Formats: sequence, structure tokens, C-alpha cells
Amino acid sequence: MTEKQNCILRIDNLIKIFDDAETEDTILKGLNLTVQRGEFMCILGPSGCGKTTFLRCIAGFEEFDGQIYVDGHKCSVPGTDRIMVFQDFNQLFPWKTVEQNIQYPLKLQGLRDKDELRRISEESLIKVKLQGYERYYPHQLSGGMKQRVAIAKALALKPALILMDEPFAALDAMTRSELQEEVLRISEQEGSTVIFVTHNIEEAITLGTRILVFQKGGQVVFDEKNPIKRPVTPLAENYGAIWEKLHRALHSEDGG
Amino acid sequence: MRKKEKKGFWIQIVFIALMLVVWETAARLRLFGPRSEIIFPPLEAIGRAFVLNFAKGYGGVSLWRYIGNSMKLLGEGLLIGIILALILSGACMVSVSFRRIYSLVIAVMDLLPGVAMLPVVIIIFGISPGVIVFLVVHSVLWPMSRNVLDGFLAVPRIYVEAGKNIGLRGISLLLGVYLPASVTYVISGLKVGWARAWRGLISAEMIFGIASCPGIGLYINQMRVNLNNAEMYATLLVIIIIGLIVQYGILVPIENRTVKKWGMSR
Amino acid sequence: MNKMSAGLLGLSLLMCIGGCGIRNQNTVSNEQKSLNIAYQYGLAYTPAIVAKEKGLIEEAYKEATGKEVSVTWIQMNSGADINTGIASGDLNVGFMGAAPAITGVVKDVGYKVFTNLSGQEHSLMTNEDDVRSLKDLVGSSHQIALVNIGSIQHIILAKALSESGLDPHALDSNIVAMKHPDGMAALETGNIACHLTSSPYTYMERSSGSFYELDEVSKAWSADDSFIVGVAATSLYEEDPELYKALCDGIRTAMEYMDTHMGEVAEMTCELDGNTKEDELKYLESGSYTAETNSLFELARFMSDAGFIDTMPDSYEDLVFDNVLGD
Repeated sequence: MTEKQNCILRIDNLIKIFDDAETEDTILKGLNLTVQRGEFMCILGPSGCGKTTFLRCIAGFEEFDGQIYVDGHKCSVPGTDRIMVFQDFNQLFPWKTVEQNIQYPLKLQGLRDKDELRRISEESLIKVKLQGYERYYPHQLSGGMKQRVAIAKALALKPALILMDEPFAALDAMTRSELQEEVLRISEQEGSTVIFVTHNIEEAITLGTRILVFQKGGQVVFDEKNPIKRPVTPLAENYGAIWEKLHRALHSEDGG
Repeated sequence: MRKKEKKGFWIQIVFIALMLVVWETAARLRLFGPRSEIIFPPLEAIGRAFVLNFAKGYGGVSLWRYIGNSMKLLGEGLLIGIILALILSGACMVSVSFRRIYSLVIAVMDLLPGVAMLPVVIIIFGISPGVIVFLVVHSVLWPMSRNVLDGFLAVPRIYVEAGKNIGLRGISLLLGVYLPASVTYVISGLKVGWARAWRGLISAEMIFGIASCPGIGLYINQMRVNLNNAEMYATLLVIIIIGLIVQYGILVPIENRTVKKWGMSR
Repeated sequence: MNKMSAGLLGLSLLMCIGGCGIRNQNTVSNEQKSLNIAYQYGLAYTPAIVAKEKGLIEEAYKEATGKEVSVTWIQMNSGADINTGIASGDLNVGFMGAAPAITGVVKDVGYKVFTNLSGQEHSLMTNEDDVRSLKDLVGSSHQIALVNIGSIQHIILAKALSESGLDPHALDSNIVAMKHPDGMAALETGNIACHLTSSPYTYMERSSGSFYELDEVSKAWSADDSFIVGVAATSLYEEDPELYKALCDGIRTAMEYMDTHMGEVAEMTCELDGNTKEDELKYLESGSYTAETNSLFELARFMSDAGFIDTMPDSYEDLVFDNVLGD
């Protein structure tokens, strides 16, 4: 019973076929999955395995066959209960300031109280350590800062699910590890449920409480809880072993 | 950067001064035939005519009134044209069939000079300032639509998805994402549309003069008929000045407050 | 880079000035004489068209001097354009309405009238039942289409008003400038209340039978009064009397030819005017084509009195060259 209540995402037989006039490409062939509340689920996989498409189906950006339930509700179109953080730095609206970017979705949800709006945007900016940047326009920010704002925007909405599609892949190594720490801290503090797509094994081990590996067609070849206690460092016990396992799962296609 | 801009400014000033010198020399040397001073008056005569246009005008009516009438018709036409362009381009994003049809309409209509349609327009609208407004709408609608539509089609998918993600649908998506995201296109559409409308207005007024609502084009025509060429050139000067005021007083500030401020220049 | 752009600028300016200078030399000294004549479209210009088609000016010149002259005919759209052409020296001769010709003389464009060309009937037609005289129009919002503000039709309207004891400018703000065929169409569709036009549109509108004619206008300026005149540059008259005479003779011959061969002329011009031969002949016969002016000075005096021109010519002789007869 508790198991069922805790289940925030259930996916039944998810099928996604891209068909242009000439080719028909099955990206996801019948995927089943459940995600528990508070889980930080990292999805690893080679390019073309369907991990991004999977995320986009959940977000409602793609049409698909099968069922997706979020908090027990069937989803097929985008909604504010599932907020996507993209890899592209340009996901903020350049015509709005940092503050407006965060407040705009809240206003759309009917929140009109100016003080409340300011309080929420300030609070979420503090969480991503960007207080003082309220009035900046996105083009005045660095890539890392833009991603922080995107995360703050997601947090302000308090969605059931935060979907992250390789959000740090285009950042330099230092900024990336900085942001990884922030995301880790925030997700623990907020108890958010995150699905995090990456192609980086270290990132998956560092962030995930649960790690999945996809192979072609959205086939789940690995699905285990991360045994390493946070904060994860390369020196932690089992780090080498789990890395080895994931690496093998990732390259299983080549071997077979 | 500053220094370069300043230098560019001075080059322009020098160029204008040089052109004035050329004009004055040509006028003083009476290069344009036996009655050169009539068709190519010296600057001083044009300057005097400039003042007289406003002080005395023609038939007791100051040029101010002509300008007022023209600007009123222009304003109405521009407003209607811009709003129509936004609505129709927006409709194109909803229906692909409509987009196909409208693209064709734009391509065809944009080729037609407004004044060539005058007889048809008169039959539809009757003899009224509405005809001039229609021609202004015609000159602004198609270039504006083309630009807005191009802009809408070029909106990055990520903005659209981010917009859908936060709950924007249909019209709110159009106004909340498509329109601001294509602001560079909208502004360049405005620039082209405004210039065409301004020219279209004056040529329409020159051909189709309504004496009860006299505009700048009619004034130029009257000056031409009466061989008051200095007054005519002075009126052309007024046209240029109004054009520059709109360009630097309205369009450039709009650009600074949007595209430049948002870091969206193409 | 900068030097280059400065050089380019200087070069283009030089070409500009140089071009202007060169352009004006070809009219003065030339092996073969040339004459540039501007005319306009329509029935009222028929003598000019006859002279053009039959080469009458060339013929007259050859007969008198034994030399050739090359005549270039240019069709233009308005008296204002022709005025500019003559002032710049590009044109030697032009045919235009009496009103712009008077304006041109008064403004010292450098020409005078060398012949009358034609007189035509003018009419003011209305499709409104409550308009039966000019008085009914004054103060109303009824619009009157005519070809241009400041045109001879506009002045005829002012003259008709003045002769009815009204302010000559009382209907100025009722005017809408429209080409003759557009004005006729607008009258027919009811888009406009009145149309002031000239032959042949006058006949077309009369024959339709559905309009009422306000005859103050046709009385104010009849087919006997000068409507279209020919003007010639003073330089032509002074510097080349032989060519000037050939010009006058050529036009007079054209008028004589029209008197004797009207049917043939109608055949020649009916296609140009878009009428059937029969109609064309009817229209042509209703006009008056003489070299003698009629009421030209009276027109000038009226234009001055009503403020259409700033200065008044002193005498009839100020308007015309000394070979022209009439008043």
C-alpha cells in the first residue's frame, strides 16, 4: 500500500515511433517503469538509445502510445507538474529578466500577489545562489548561471517531477561539478523527485539514488539503487565496482 | 566603440554639407537649362519656401494642416495594418492550410503597387479618406506579414516547448512566446512597412487628391502645378524630416528597448 | 580605405555636375536641326497628332528652307511636367491646357503661346436629385471629381461660380482629383455626386441620360473658348525664326487638313482614343480646332483675380507671340 502511494510516476508499455515518409524508427519499444517519490533517478545510455525521447514523452512534448501516470493522473500534454530543464542554455526567455522568468509561470497559474511572487523568486534564487541577479537579462549571464536560473524556475513551481536532460553537458568541468553539488543539496533539502538524463557515468554515480542504463529501443539493461552513501567521492567504497558495472552495461551492445 | 560612432557621425555631417554645396553650386551655375532657377532653386529660396509653407501655406491653409491630415490617415492605416498582420500571421501558426494560402496571398499582393489598384479601391470604398487608409494598410500589411510569419516560423523550438511546459496554449503561447521571440523580425517588418506606407501615402495623395482632407501629397501636387518648385522641394524636405523623426524618435528607441536590451540582435 | 571612399565621392560628384553641363549643349549647335515637342493624350490634341502622323512640321520646314529637321514627339502626363521640361531646355514646344500655360508664362518659364490648338465642350454632371444648380452644392458635402486641382477644369468651375455671383473658391474643398475615366466611373457607380469633365466624356455622360447637367459650367467656358494651346520656348522664336514658322505652319496645315478630311482623321485617331470611328467623328466635329485664341486674356485676368496666379500679365501680347491672333 505504502509502495503504491509513494509511486509518483508509472509508465505502462510506452511505445514511441518516429515515422517520416520514408523511414520508420522505433525509439521506445514498450517501456515499463515506476519512480518513487523523492528518488533521484539517473538514466545513462549511448546516444540514440531513446533516453531523451523518454524524457520528452513524460514532459508531454511528444506523442506516444502507452500510458504515463504522474501522481495517479494520466498525462499526454505538457503540464507544470513536470518541469523540464534543457541542456540548451537558451531555455530562458531572453525578453524577460531573471526574476520575470521565474515569476511568469507562477503568474500564469493565477498567482497575482506581487509580494508573494517576489518572495518565491527570491527564495528560489537563493537556493541556486543567484541572489542579486533578479534584474539581469539572460544574455548578461554565463551558461552556468542560466542553468541555475532554469533550475530556480523549476523549483519555484514545486512540480511533482523535475526532468533534467543533460543540463550540465555543455558546461566546463569546474562549473559542472559546482552545479552538481548544488543540485544534490537542493534535491535533498526539497525532497524533489528528479529524472536526470546523462551520458556521464561519474555524474550518474554522484547524483543518482537510482541508476538506469538504456540500450537501443529504450531497453532497460541496468536498474539498481546507488549503494554509495552521499556525498559521493571517487574514493568512496564500491565506487570502482559500480563504475565498472555501469561501464559494462553501457557497452554491452558492443560486446554482444 | 564610442569614438567610432562619433567619427561615423561626423562623416555623415560632412557628406550632407558636401551635398548642399553641390546643390548650391549647381543652382548658382544655373546648370539646368535656361530657366534653371525655376526648376532648381538655390538653397536660400528653398529655405524661405520652407518657412512660407508653414507660415502662409497654399490658399490660406498652412502646411501644418496638410501634415496633420496625412499623419492621421497614416496612423490609422499603420495601426490597422500591423494588427491585421499579427492576427493573420498568428492564424498561420494554427492552420497549415491557411499558412499555405496566406503565403501565396502575400507573395501576390506584395507585388501590386497600391496606386495601380486605385480604381478598384474607389469602387469598393467610395471617394473618401478611407481609400488612402486602405492604401497605407496595403503597403504595410504584406511586408509586415511576411516578416512576422518568417519570425514566427524561426522561433527556436526550445522557447515553444518551455512555453508549453509552463502552461501556455494557443493564443497565450502566440502572445507569450512567438511574438516576443520574433521581435527582431517584427521590427524589421515595421521598418519596411512604415517606409512603404509613408511613400505609398504620399503617392496616393498626389494621384487621388481629396480637397476636403488635403494631405502632403496634394500640397506637393499643388506646388508642382503652380510651378512653385522651391516650395515643392521644401515640402520634400519636410517629408524627409518626418521620416527621420519616425526612424530615430520611434523605431530606434523601440529597438533599443527590445532587441538591444534583450540581446537578441540578429 | 578612407582615401578611396573620399575619391569615390569626389568622382561621383564630378560626374554629376559634368553630366548636367553636357546635357544642355545639344539643343543649341547641331548639324541637323531638332525639335522636341511634348503633347498629351486625348481628343483635344488632335491637330498635334495629325501634324505628328503626317510629318507636317518637317514638310513645312523643308519647303521653306530645303533642309531637314528631326522632330521628336514626347507624350507627357501633365502641363506641370511639360513646364519643367521647357524650363530645363529639354523641350522646345509643348501642348497643354490654357491654365498651366498662363501659369508658365507668368512664372517666366521662358515660353509664350504660339497657337491655339482646340476648344472643347465642358460639363458638370450630377447624379443627385437635389442638386440643380451650383448654389445647391455650396456648403454641401457633395464631392466634385475633376482632373486636378489647379487644372483648367478647376478654373472653369471657379469661373462658373463667380459668374453665378458666388465665391470662386466656395467649392474648393468639395473637389476630388481624379482622371477623367475614373471620375466618369465614380459618377456612374454613385461614388461621387458630381463630375466636371470635358469632351468626349461630356458626351458619354450626356448620352447615358441618367445625369443632370448643371449648365452654369458649360456656359462659363464653351467649345469656342481656348482650351488647349501650344507654347514654344522664347529661344526657339528668337534664335530660329525659320523653324518657329515651320512649327506654326505645320499646326495650321493640320487644322486645315482636319477641316477637309475629318473622316480620315477620325479613322487615324479613333484607335488611340478607344472609340468607334463614328463616335470619334462625332466628338471631333463638336470641338473647335483653330489657331486663333479666344478669351485667353480673359482667363488670365480671372485666374489673377481669383488668386490662382500671383501676378497678372499686362496685356494679351505678354501671353502670345506676335503672330498669334485672337484675344
